[in-house]
Amino acid sequence: MKRYLNFFIALIAIQGDLYAAEAGMPQLDPKYWASQAFWLILVFTVLYFSISKFYLPKIKNNLDDRENRIKDDIEDANKSKELSESKLKEYEKILEEAKKEVIKIQIESKAKLDKDIHEKKEKIEKEIEKELIQAQKEIADLKKNSISDIHNISKEIAANIIENISGDKLNESSIKAAVEEISKKNVGKYL
Amino acid sequence: MAGNPMQQFSVHKIGPEINIGGVDLSFTNASLFMVISAAIILIFLFVGTKEKKIIPGKVQLIAEMFYTFVAKMISDTAGSKAKPYFPFIFSLFMFVLFCNMVGMLPYSFTVTSHIIVTLIMALFIFIAVTIIGFAKHGFKYLSIFVPSGVPAVLLPLITVIEIISYLSRPVSLSVRLFANMMAGHTMLKVFGGFVISLGLLGGWLPLSFSVALTGLEILVAFLQAYVFAILTCIYLNDALNLHH
Repeated sequence: MKRYLNFFIALIAIQGDLYAAEAGMPQLDPKYWASQAFWLILVFTVLYFSISKFYLPKIKNNLDDRENRIKDDIEDANKSKELSESKLKEYEKILEEAKKEVIKIQIESKAKLDKDIHEKKEKIEKEIEKELIQAQKEIADLKKNSISDIHNISKEIAANIIENISGDKLNESSIKAAVEEISKKNVGKYL
Repeated sequence: MAGNPMQQFSVHKIGPEINIGGVDLSFTNASLFMVISAAIILIFLFVGTKEKKIIPGKVQLIAEMFYTFVAKMISDTAGSKAKPYFPFIFSLFMFVLFCNMVGMLPYSFTVTSHIIVTLIMALFIFIAVTIIGFAKHGFKYLSIFVPSGVPAVLLPLITVIEIISYLSRPVSLSVRLFANMMAGHTMLKVFGGFVISLGLLGGWLPLSFSVALTGLEILVAFLQAYVFAILTCIYLNDALNLHH
């Protein structure tokens, strides 16, 4: 295989030598081939070692650092997210409990209030009834008294009027009978 | 420098003649631009790795992009077994890329437009890959020439073709890069010459071509570096994972 390659290189070299001058391809002029090969190998070797020993590990480190940092950050973010979600759930739970309690308190206070109102209402109704009865009684008494008073007053007025008109004193019992007769007729009209 | 478009490829000595054992190893303009390209790579990587920031700066970002680009290229084509060769592929890619790109500057010299440079790189890759193949698989590595699933009648023919294609790898690898770079730069030079010779009246047409070609050549410069590196990966893949 190497023999072929040597042969190939030699072929190019010979042809290059032949054509370099006339065809004007400086690439085929072997004068500086050795120099170019030498400097290429030298420069590339230096380049290779400084890149592989120095720069590539640096770049790799930095890329790895960044990747780790991003991974860590994402992890942190996920943790924070989980935390906030659990906090949110807790908050919602508390809110729900508070709502339940509110409803409970509402019902309780309403029941208490209802009872209170009912009791007071009953008490007041009783009192009102009592007072009503008493008032009725008083009214009945008053009615009775007032009828007898009216009789007396009417009697006196009637006696006075008769005395003034006729100048005679009439029998008291007859006046009384007349007044009572009239009042019996009319008392239902006014009382 | 004006007339001949091939003039730009000529190599000339800079400084004193260095002669070791009868071989002329003088420092030339080609050597100079190799050193310049390597220096640019090293400075770029130095600046790119100087500050280890979690949020990278511009240069650091580009350096890291190169790293991940080459790392992905290797893992995609040659798998995880090729990891030890990552520094070499990275250096190779960066060197070829920066030589090509530095060559795009006017009045510079394109190192990779010389067949001897590309051939040495390709031969090194070819020999190294062959050694790796034999070291990993012993004589079983020869089975790379005998693809599976081929009818017995065709097998001798296919094997011969496989052997030829294997042996022509360094040639195709080196000539591809060298020819692309040389042709592109020659074309730029030719169009540049047209601009001068057609003058103010007709020069704008080749000038616009020149502008377009410069863009194309920058693409080619990147593409050829990429192709060179990815073919190296593919050869390495053949040597590491023998499933041809």
